Amino acid sequence: MSSQHGHHIIPKKTLYKVFGALAFLTVLTGLTAEYVDLGSLNVPLALAIAISKATLVATFFMALKYDNRVNTLVFMLGILFVGVFLVFTLFDTVFRGDLGNVGSETISEIERLESTMREGEAAARSDSAAAQMPGMEEDGAAVDSLDIDAQAEDNDATAPNMTPAPDTTSATGSAGSGASSTAP
Amino acid sequence: MASTTATTAAAQETHVETHPSHLKHYFVSSEQQFDAAKLGMWLFLVTEILLFSGMFVAYAVFRIWHPEVFVEASTELNPWLGGLNTLVLLLSSLTVALAIHAAQGDDRKGLVRNLIITVLLAAVFMVVKYFEYTHKFHLGIFPGGFFSYEEMTNPYVPLFFSIYFVMTGIHGVHVLIGMGLLSWLASRAYRGHFSSDYYTPVELCGLYWHIVDIIWIFLFPLMYLI
Repeated sequence: MSSQHGHHIIPKKTLYKVFGALAFLTVLTGLTAEYVDLGSLNVPLALAIAISKATLVATFFMALKYDNRVNTLVFMLGILFVGVFLVFTLFDTVFRGDLGNVGSETISEIERLESTMREGEAAARSDSAAAQMPGMEEDGAAVDSLDIDAQAEDNDATAPNMTPAPDTTSATGSAGSGASSTAP
Repeated sequence: MASTTATTAAAQETHVETHPSHLKHYFVSSEQQFDAAKLGMWLFLVTEILLFSGMFVAYAVFRIWHPEVFVEASTELNPWLGGLNTLVLLLSSLTVALAIHAAQGDDRKGLVRNLIITVLLAAVFMVVKYFEYTHKFHLGIFPGGFFSYEEMTNPYVPLFFSIYFVMTGIHGVHVLIGMGLLSWLASRAYRGHFSSDYYTPVELCGLYWHIVDIIWIFLFPLMYLI
């Protein structure tokens, strides 16, 4: 008769009440998304409601409230590491483009643009070089291929419509700025 | 000789008394074994949370880079179906908690019944997802390079749908796995494998099912309600 008398049995009433709260919060999420406009705060609000729902499920349905505390510790550590993962990734991605030589284009697009530029400039240089000395053209082309930064700057300067720079001067460089889309 | 037999018999009796069949030798008590199993399960669940967090971080990164594209693309998703699925999964979490309650009270019929209802609710979820997916395929919305929906021409719209398909797809796989586990549990429960003394598998699969529900609790607003 070694019954597990240490186990807390959660009363059915509690379970039903928690479900009721969860259903209400779900409806609330839907309604606030549809009818409440807080601008950029809408997403944090939806997330706050989702976090409340998840907390209810974890505390009562998963019985974290009545368990050995180590289970809650493990769960919270997991959440902590998700937070670290998210924040550190965003530290990188949100601030890309803040330096002038990085744009929102893919590497293939940039290479394509650069080679078009290079062909144009090589053609222009060969015209003027042909007037001076033959053979200068090759050196010019070699220097061009190494000088990627200057190329990128030229790209920004000479082809503004093709490479719209992300909004690097704005202080709120994260969600909501919306200026970085490359609409065709 | 008689006394030794009596002693041996008594010893055996005591041995059976203090050693239920499910208790492994290396645990001091059923209590400790149950707690250890639960801790192990929680550690596994943290890996599941981190699995999905990889995809949530991808969502965050791409959404911050193209916020208006995400808003536009998500209008194709039906928030009523998403909301229905949310309620279905929340209800299934309730029924699995009720199943554990039944196991704790030696209510075999209640245990089997609640496990089966949970599986049925999960099936409803998958059916709704099936309709959502097929509707998208009908419109030409496919993951990745197969996207061909003319209504939305922004080149980053397929990105949203790729993320949608991968996240809900992997979540759907987890729902299917849960359905398998819960059906297996229902079968074992029907055959009387569980009691208030021993219902650890029910407890652990219940925890898994709740995590699947929690993942959807976050997926729903981020995908459907932008």
